[in-house]
Amino acid sequence: MSQVIACYKWVVDEADIRINTDLTVDLSKAKGKISDYDKNAIEAAVQAAASLNGKAIGLTFGTAEAKPSLKDALSRGLDEAWYINDQQAGQADGAGTARALAAAIKRMPDVSLIICAEGASDTYARQTAPRIGALLDLPVVTSAGKIEISGNTLTAVRILDDCLQTVKVELPAVIAVLPEINPAPIPGLKAVLAAGKKPVTELKTQDLGIDLAPKTSVTEFKGYIMNRKNIIFNEGQTADKVNALATALRKEGVL
Amino acid sequence: MAGVYIYSDKTDIAQEIIGFARAAGKEAILLTLSEKDAQALQNSGADKIYVIDGKSELIENYSKAIADLLTKANAEFFAVGATPRGRDLAARVAGYLDCAMVSDVSSIEYSGQNLQCVRMMYGGAVQQNEVLSGLSVVTVSAGKFETVKGEAAIQTLELEADTRVTVVETAPVVKVGVDLGKADKVVCVGMALDKVEDLQIARDLAEAVGAELGCTRSIAEERHWLPVESYIGISGAVIKPRLYMSMGVSGQIQHVYGIRDAQLIVAIDINEKAPIFKAADYGIVGDLYEVVPLLTEALKK
Amino acid sequence: MSSEDKFDAIIVGAGPAGSACAYTLAKAGRNVLVIERGDTPGCKNVTGGRLYTYALEMLDEDLYEEAALERRVTHEQIMMLSGERAITIDFHQPGFNPEAKPPMSFTVLRAVFDEWLAAKAEEKGAIVACGIKVDQLIEQEGKIVGAIAGEDEMYADIVIAADGVNSFMAQQAGLIRDIPAKTVGVGVKEVIELPEKTIEERFNLQAGEGAARMLLGCTEGIHGGGFLYTNQQSISLGCVFTPEEAAQHKKSVHEIFQDIKMHPAIAPLIAGGETIEYSAHLVSEAGYRGIHKKLYREGFLMIGDAAGFVINTGYSIRGIDLAIVSGIAAARAVITAGDNVAAAGSYYMQELNHLKLMPTMKAADGYFEILETPWIYDKVPNLANDVFNSLFKVSGEVPQSMKNTVMGAMKANGLSLWQLIQLGIKGVKSL
Repeated sequence: MSQVIACYKWVVDEADIRINTDLTVDLSKAKGKISDYDKNAIEAAVQAAASLNGKAIGLTFGTAEAKPSLKDALSRGLDEAWYINDQQAGQADGAGTARALAAAIKRMPDVSLIICAEGASDTYARQTAPRIGALLDLPVVTSAGKIEISGNTLTAVRILDDCLQTVKVELPAVIAVLPEINPAPIPGLKAVLAAGKKPVTELKTQDLGIDLAPKTSVTEFKGYIMNRKNIIFNEGQTADKVNALATALRKEGVL
Repeated sequence: MAGVYIYSDKTDIAQEIIGFARAAGKEAILLTLSEKDAQALQNSGADKIYVIDGKSELIENYSKAIADLLTKANAEFFAVGATPRGRDLAARVAGYLDCAMVSDVSSIEYSGQNLQCVRMMYGGAVQQNEVLSGLSVVTVSAGKFETVKGEAAIQTLELEADTRVTVVETAPVVKVGVDLGKADKVVCVGMALDKVEDLQIARDLAEAVGAELGCTRSIAEERHWLPVESYIGISGAVIKPRLYMSMGVSGQIQHVYGIRDAQLIVAIDINEKAPIFKAADYGIVGDLYEVVPLLTEALKK
Repeated sequence: MSSEDKFDAIIVGAGPAGSACAYTLAKAGRNVLVIERGDTPGCKNVTGGRLYTYALEMLDEDLYEEAALERRVTHEQIMMLSGERAITIDFHQPGFNPEAKPPMSFTVLRAVFDEWLAAKAEEKGAIVACGIKVDQLIEQEGKIVGAIAGEDEMYADIVIAADGVNSFMAQQAGLIRDIPAKTVGVGVKEVIELPEKTIEERFNLQAGEGAARMLLGCTEGIHGGGFLYTNQQSISLGCVFTPEEAAQHKKSVHEIFQDIKMHPAIAPLIAGGETIEYSAHLVSEAGYRGIHKKLYREGFLMIGDAAGFVINTGYSIRGIDLAIVSGIAAARAVITAGDNVAAAGSYYMQELNHLKLMPTMKAADGYFEILETPWIYDKVPNLANDVFNSLFKVSGEVPQSMKNTVMGAMKANGLSLWQLIQLGIKGVKSL
């Protein structure tokens, strides 16, 4: 039975990030979530599995904190989930992540299609799908806004910066999808309840025999705060505030 | 051998990256699929321009071949213009080389033999500095470097293509709306606007100051009030006008990323705690329906 | 229907009442489903606030030791504000923290506490489904037999409404109409972050100790009051108003609250802090009189705020402990009823008495009368401050007699001795 793999990532919710006055980044209050666009990718994988009469399998590489993601992912229509659990996932670079995912995929039988979101909401590096394709020497299609599977052929419409490019590829293949691919429906009650009963396979990177040492060295990780004047007219009548602003803009010489 | 190998499907970015390599005293070798681009870039300072000759019209299909080329040539690194096609190619080459890659660098600088890269994360809230050593890949956005002049030798290079992905058809996209990336002044509308007719309030202000009209992502992608090219943000237009004025924009990180290079940022919003005010030079806390028409009158004079 | 679709109990809402009920039922081996509309339990809930620990002890022995609690309260304070002035009464009871027994109360943060309690219920075997809203109850032959969420129908022997003040489930079940504005207050609150040590210095606390403070006279005469609680690394500061009076007032609730923050006696306490949370919520204000007439029908029970279990004594508001106790009462009723589901309702009423919840609420009913007196919101705090002002005034003039001072202050505030005596009598009678 063909398997469609949906790769997803458990990320820190960027809305919860606090930047301290000394520009250090405080992630302690941040909650985790499945990266926004991964939800669209999971739905695309579920639909693709249906059209191939196959199974949709979720796959994630994360630290122990990623465990809650499994129930969330499984409640979105996946049949089962695989979880590569390694504390080093927090520091892994694009190369390491792709290596881990590719190694796990090699263990899965009958993989017809691997679907990833174009990028994750934390880094938006957009490396994962192409790298997985290269490591497994599979064809890759990125920026897919629409996909259609007919028999063993996948047709995709790529949304590029200056054109819509329709391409064709025989499965197996790796596809990176844009959120435009389909909406990500909110799981209903029964789906949430069913999630708890679906199988999860947990792997360790030692089992996969891969090296996760990052190939870049991060020398700094700090908040980006713009130094702006922050002159905000809040008190008083609207007319006065408007005049104050107009005067300021004229003085700045931007008009 | 060494040298910086460069690719971009956009000639302007290619020129800029060549400029970077030359300024760093490195050999700049440009790869291109297009004879036309090669001609256009003949005087851009590259040492060599290779026009790839192969069985596919998709540059991404040459990833493996390019990876082999880079290894054989003992290249220093591979710099690719950050466009959808460029990113795809770059990441695949990095995959075949199983080497490091930094995406969408906001700046790169040589430090000895290593490359210091800066990139933004978390929608633009956090900056990460990374050092690359050895053969690695970077993707670079437009507008980062100065171009140079100099003649390049153009050569054809036969490379093997992966023919598994083929093009069925290409439909050029007609861009509606203005290229905000080149606008001198921009007025931006946000989700606080009630109905599409209210865009007129923004248009009036834009007209009064001679600005183009932009919006936040949701206005374009969810409400479809303005075309997709109009939305400003990390996944949309990144602009650098002299003046940016927003109304009803809360100022989420992803949007603010798109305006960070604006010379002057002005915000109007009813919520004094809106994040946009932290990113603004000037602002008015108030109801945009009251404030903006008055401001339009005041600025007309 | 398959066993997947039927539970012994479906609980709507994973707040303290819902989770306590689920915990007790699951511990007794029942098949329980809790449906919570927030993405996480507690994210939609607001409290002052604090939790009285006896309730956790009732839920399970020594549960409080691992509970997600903030500071144990050792300073009970009342502050009466008038203009720029304030009188603060501080009752320090270190004995609230004896080594042997659980401390009487702890300040809490709902998002943290509710999530913890729901997780405990899950540990016992309850299933908690978040991010799902129950749209409708399923009624068959005059009995409630389940609930509908989106397209999914789930069935249970009993549905327990723990969905908070203005319970939608209770309205659906036909047990209440819309809440009259008089019985609820609207509360606004900010959580202001400050370092632990700073909080301890400003409030004169040892590590782990906390202060709970009620504010009177800060609502510009509107029926209502303020509160301040010290959490481990933040201060919860807020205010409750009656919506009707607030709507007629020229300043908005938000503006009045900002004024409180800037009061010379309050501002230094929160100086340098960063507001990390701003929330608003309805709270039942009517105490015993706010409890709905019928708390059950066949196949359906109401617990917690949904049932109206909140006591407001003017100097404190209790809700979380009552919610937990009512959850336990409902669970015990369901367990006792067993197959005779129809009897669960009356067993519930019995348990509410047995666990002393109803008698407690009845005993506290007297406060309602006092709290109805408009002067306590402006005249009384003003009077008290005026008297203290005079007491401590030394200007070189011949000081007035105590009697004249007080009478003068009363006159200035438009209060006669007789009115104050009446208030006193009313107080004694009600309490």
